[in-house]
Amino acid sequence: MQAAGDVVVPRNFRLLEELEKGEKGFGDGTVSYGMDDQDDIMMSSWTGTIIGPSNTVHDGRIYSVKIHCGEQYPNGPPIVRFVSRIVLNSVNQQNGTVEPRSFPLLANWNRNYTIETLAVCRRSSKRRNACT
Amino acid sequence: MAANSQLPRRIIKETQRLLSEPAPGISASPSEDNLRYFNVMILGPTQSPYEGGVYKLELFLPEEYPMAAPKVRFLTKIYHPNIDKLGRICLDILKDKWSPALQIRTVLLSIQALLSAPNPDDPLAEDIAKQWKEDEAKAVATAKEWTRQYAQG
Repeated sequence: MQAAGDVVVPRNFRLLEELEKGEKGFGDGTVSYGMDDQDDIMMSSWTGTIIGPSNTVHDGRIYSVKIHCGEQYPNGPPIVRFVSRIVLNSVNQQNGTVEPRSFPLLANWNRNYTIETLAVCRRSSKRRNACT
Repeated sequence: MAANSQLPRRIIKETQRLLSEPAPGISASPSEDNLRYFNVMILGPTQSPYEGGVYKLELFLPEEYPMAAPKVRFLTKIYHPNIDKLGRICLDILKDKWSPALQIRTVLLSIQALLSAPNPDDPLAEDIAKQWKEDEAKAVATAKEWTRQYAQG
């Protein structure tokens, strides 16, 4: 929700900020992301890499996810799909799509969430069932 | 319009002037749902490889504006050493040379001037800058070709 007078960063400039952050890198490097197609002026298609957290069955594994940011982004959530095979409650076993219904961050999306929030949360939800 | 109820007076004034006295070859109008977000059109300057081209850009005034520079990028594909594939522009006044005395109008005029005077010594698109320095005639021909192919409005 936006309060009156709030400055709303439009989709493309928001994605440019996210791109720059992803290029610089953040955190401890267990999560990273970047654009798929450097020629795509609409910046829709992204790939994230998540290293499985230690002390879980995912320890040391490297998972690749595709993130699609549609025209409604960041007002609407992106579509997230695991390219690597992974057994998780919230992941559709046929096509790897993360089901928004069983992944609260997507179900209760708000425009302050970013690709980073999503990927970091995705990683931590491998420990817990939900990330809010 | 509620979200824009606290739009600073400076932005309102600049917008009014952009609409009532547009600079030649430049138009800029705010989006209906976000008065800090402008749809911009710049005509390729005469005697430049971009002559005859119509370039669409988007411009956003961040919360810190005018203490921080506007954010601008090309939406139309362009072959220029200082503009990258995502339309990001390498221009000093958009970075460290920004001053609150500058305005949306001066920014857009500077971008128009950059089209007339590509600067391959301060490149953003490395491959294009290299081509520009090695064989300027060929680079200019490519820029003209892209103008015909991608910038017809």
